[in-house]
Amino acid sequence: MTRHTRRGAISLSAAITAGAALAACGGEATGGSGAPAASSAPVKIVYWGAFGGNLGKTQEEVVKQFNDVQKNVVVEHQFQGSYADAANKLTAAMQAKQAPELVVLSDVWWYKFYLNKALQPLDDLIKSEKVDAKDYVDSLFNEYVQGGKSYALPFARSTPLFYYNKDIWKKAGLPDRAPKTWDEFTKDFVPKLKSVIDSKQFVFAHPSSASYIAWVFQGVIWQFGGAFSDKDFKIQIGEPKGVQAGEFYRSSIKDGWAQASKDVDADFRGGVTVALIGSTGGLVGHEQAADGKFGVGTGFLPEGPAGFGCPTGGAGVSMVAGLSKEKQSAAFQFLNFSTNPRTQAFWSQQTGYMPVRKSTIDSKEMLDFLKLKPNFKTALDQLPRTKFQDSARVFIPNGDEIIGKGLERITVQQEAPSVVWKDITEILTKEAEPVLKLRKALGG
Amino acid sequence: MTSARDARQAIVPELDARHRHLAAFVLFVAPNFLALALFSYWPLVRNVYLSFTYWDMIAPSPVWIGASNWIDVFTSKPFWRISGNTLTFTVVSVGVTMALALAAALLLNQKLLGRDLVRAVLFAPAILPGSAVALVWTFLLAPNYGFVSQLAAPLGLPSIRWLTDPAWAMPAVLLVVIWRRVGYDAVIFIAGLQGISKELYEAARVDGANAWQRFRHVTLPGLAPVSFFLLVTAILASFQSFDVIRVMTSGGPVIATTTLIYQVYQEAFVAFNAGRAAVYATILFLLMLSLTAIQVRLVERRVTYE
Amino acid sequence: MNSPAFAFTPRARDTQAGRRWRPSTRPIATTGAYLGLACALLAVGLPTWWIIVGALKTTNEIYLVPSTWTPRDPQWRNFLAAWHAAPFFAMFVNSLAVTVAGTVAKLANAIFCAYAFAFIPIPGRNVAFFFVLGALMIPEEVTILPNYLTVAALGYVNTVPGLVLPTIGSAFATFFLRQAFLSLPREVIDAAKVDGAGHLATLWHVVLPLARPVLATLVLLTAVARWNDFLWPLVATSRATTRTLPVGVYFLYSQEGTAQWGVVLAGTIIVIVPILALFLVVQRHLVEGIASGAVKG
Repeated sequence: MTRHTRRGAISLSAAITAGAALAACGGEATGGSGAPAASSAPVKIVYWGAFGGNLGKTQEEVVKQFNDVQKNVVVEHQFQGSYADAANKLTAAMQAKQAPELVVLSDVWWYKFYLNKALQPLDDLIKSEKVDAKDYVDSLFNEYVQGGKSYALPFARSTPLFYYNKDIWKKAGLPDRAPKTWDEFTKDFVPKLKSVIDSKQFVFAHPSSASYIAWVFQGVIWQFGGAFSDKDFKIQIGEPKGVQAGEFYRSSIKDGWAQASKDVDADFRGGVTVALIGSTGGLVGHEQAADGKFGVGTGFLPEGPAGFGCPTGGAGVSMVAGLSKEKQSAAFQFLNFSTNPRTQAFWSQQTGYMPVRKSTIDSKEMLDFLKLKPNFKTALDQLPRTKFQDSARVFIPNGDEIIGKGLERITVQQEAPSVVWKDITEILTKEAEPVLKLRKALGG
Repeated sequence: MTSARDARQAIVPELDARHRHLAAFVLFVAPNFLALALFSYWPLVRNVYLSFTYWDMIAPSPVWIGASNWIDVFTSKPFWRISGNTLTFTVVSVGVTMALALAAALLLNQKLLGRDLVRAVLFAPAILPGSAVALVWTFLLAPNYGFVSQLAAPLGLPSIRWLTDPAWAMPAVLLVVIWRRVGYDAVIFIAGLQGISKELYEAARVDGANAWQRFRHVTLPGLAPVSFFLLVTAILASFQSFDVIRVMTSGGPVIATTTLIYQVYQEAFVAFNAGRAAVYATILFLLMLSLTAIQVRLVERRVTYE
Repeated sequence: MNSPAFAFTPRARDTQAGRRWRPSTRPIATTGAYLGLACALLAVGLPTWWIIVGALKTTNEIYLVPSTWTPRDPQWRNFLAAWHAAPFFAMFVNSLAVTVAGTVAKLANAIFCAYAFAFIPIPGRNVAFFFVLGALMIPEEVTILPNYLTVAALGYVNTVPGLVLPTIGSAFATFFLRQAFLSLPREVIDAAKVDGAGHLATLWHVVLPLARPVLATLVLLTAVARWNDFLWPLVATSRATTRTLPVGVYFLYSQEGTAQWGVVLAGTIIVIVPILALFLVVQRHLVEGIASGAVKG
């Protein structure tokens, strides 16, 4: 999900070995009926990725596997930076008529391109390539359905998790689990943790707006009974529950247990903070970085006054509209490959992202893996309890950043949430206007 | 009759010469004029047009919406904060850089062992890519394990979170911009110092002026033209410093380090709101216009003095 | 007031030595001056050392507090990792192409234009010069969005022509060169004219050789600006292999991030070292050129 979680160790021999093993037996996983004749020159497909660090290495390995197991299509992977960078470059590239065929678009970006009819509906291809759409995890698949058509396939899907430093937990005499509620955390865990860390350390860290603080806060505002907006873009962030959630974030800094961080992952890995809420996609990176230094624990998000709340997140892969049939078919083969059960098993195990295929989750290989790596199980167990995010963050262009900047004002600048949310409500309402207009034009 | 013919004979080559001159002139200036027209003047016009439209740059074409971008910008809180940031950034970066550069120049203008080395070392950051310098300083300013924190720790100073604390982000960016430019300004000050006639110092000495008085009454006035040149170029350069901000803070936290130029980029290539980007670009241009107008006028005055 | 009693310097040598500057013999002032020099050296040298050491550390050692001032086990492989993490060679070639093409095109524009305004007498010339002066007030940053749209429409995004084109119009260099041309000895140019030399010949054989020092400075200044340019290459490229070094090193950072500081720093050093080496070669000329340009400007 997050920019920061995509960073990790550069050497990844384990990943490469595992990848090669998979590639060796992955032949039957591709195929497909619409492939052009093998005799013609391979079709070149450009694929824009948004994963760096260890995720980027794994992404490249997936591309390599695809290019190795078939000869009709050659995929060229181009790393574009963060999710936002990739989406921004796509907008610019559409102006320049240099758009790639396939692109990774995160939860908050694909809708904008859909509204402008820039994405290819995938249903015909799903049908003609005989992809078993029912095997995708329903909630993840359906998030990309608009007007009965699919505009992306889920690929790197995540939920936020509560990560903690097991060694510090132990030192503080805490049970080896995440806090059940925020109340338990602030009243019981925080004082104990504070007594065992030094003055330069913090218990918890908030990411910046660019590292998707608004995504983490999506869960928190639900836990407090509020919401960013309703489905029809009525902004609700400034309502009392939203303000209460904002007050909670403000107090986290004021009470000295959380800090605003440029890189929450690096802080956690370096031991500067001992807990954070981060994407499942950062799991492998955390475990590798912490290996030999401390144990990494994971748990569900803590509950708030209104109970549990947790969003889905991460990215899917979309196809750009206006391609020739040949390119569509070629590009779809890679899309299919990336999300097929085998690739998803590999991708998931190497990163921590959730498999998007039911058959992957139920496979014996995955069950064995989960027994070995209990942290991976946390995300899968939490998945049934997650919800699709509020429109204001995912459907308003830059809604994520607008809310994120508001949260920065509340945390680092310690401004009153009631004031900040009033400003944010105004901005979001204004930014929603063109979306509503376009949606109407599309008959949505 | 004859006189008329003579006159014609005399005029024709002159006309020819004039045409030849004109043709040469047009040929010589045409490439530059074309480039300037297409990539400097036309964008201005296009900005003004775009500023009255809404366009997310994915839709096929901009939609005319009248002055509402302008109204939005001028009534928004961020605009005033961004203007304030730009002012702070400009005044502090130019002021502190010039003060430090003057001190360095006075030092390096003395005959000291190793001064050429120091001059080169101080100057070097100015020719390095701003992005590389900013990257390196992001590392140096890291809390706890960073260079600055490590220097501060033995003195009992707290570890500042330079780039995430809204109170410190602007000073951090300024520190880097200043660090990068001091050497450049110092070199120009040195040239200015060497241009001051030594007789003036001798005369002042003979008059019994002490060091401070000589500095005040000989050095400073002697440096006036160079200081002016520096002032104007540094102000323009500071308006444009984008790379350091992009790499170190991306304009944050919140908008603590967003300047006008950063906002143009942010609206155009991050938010993809072409209309609002055009508003900010036009405002930036108007500011530049007033500053450069002053510069050209003063430069011309100096040229006529010479 | 000219009484010698006020000559507070007790050293007769000073007056004899005349205007020549010499090391001060006042110990406090001298010590202070050398202290100043040392401070200046440290202000650049210490951070530099920290960077070099950082580039040789493992991630764990970087995060160690208190920090080490020398790497325990130098990680030369950081440089190898950086080299493989970004296409440095391609980016270097791009930077070189953009710098050479950009500098040549811009200065050619400036030279011809400045020559015309300085030496080709046509009516209305001074009015036309306002077209150049006006462009002085339009910085690159203002034009970035429309220029992107233009270059995109031309299909030049991700190409060297696309990186170069919007920068070749010259306002400052034209202005600067015209001033320099006007200050050249008039008689030499007139003599060339009398000899029947055309404008091209006069420009090539007379004006340019005379203006060589100014030109050299302009070449260096323009080249440095082109090489270091960040905003336009950032906007006008979307592939690792079409980026220039200043943009590429930023992407290395956004890709590897703070979890791989050693590699990022190594990459930064790879970018910086060639420029620094070149700087050492042309240092004296560059510094003096800039200085004289500013003083005469």
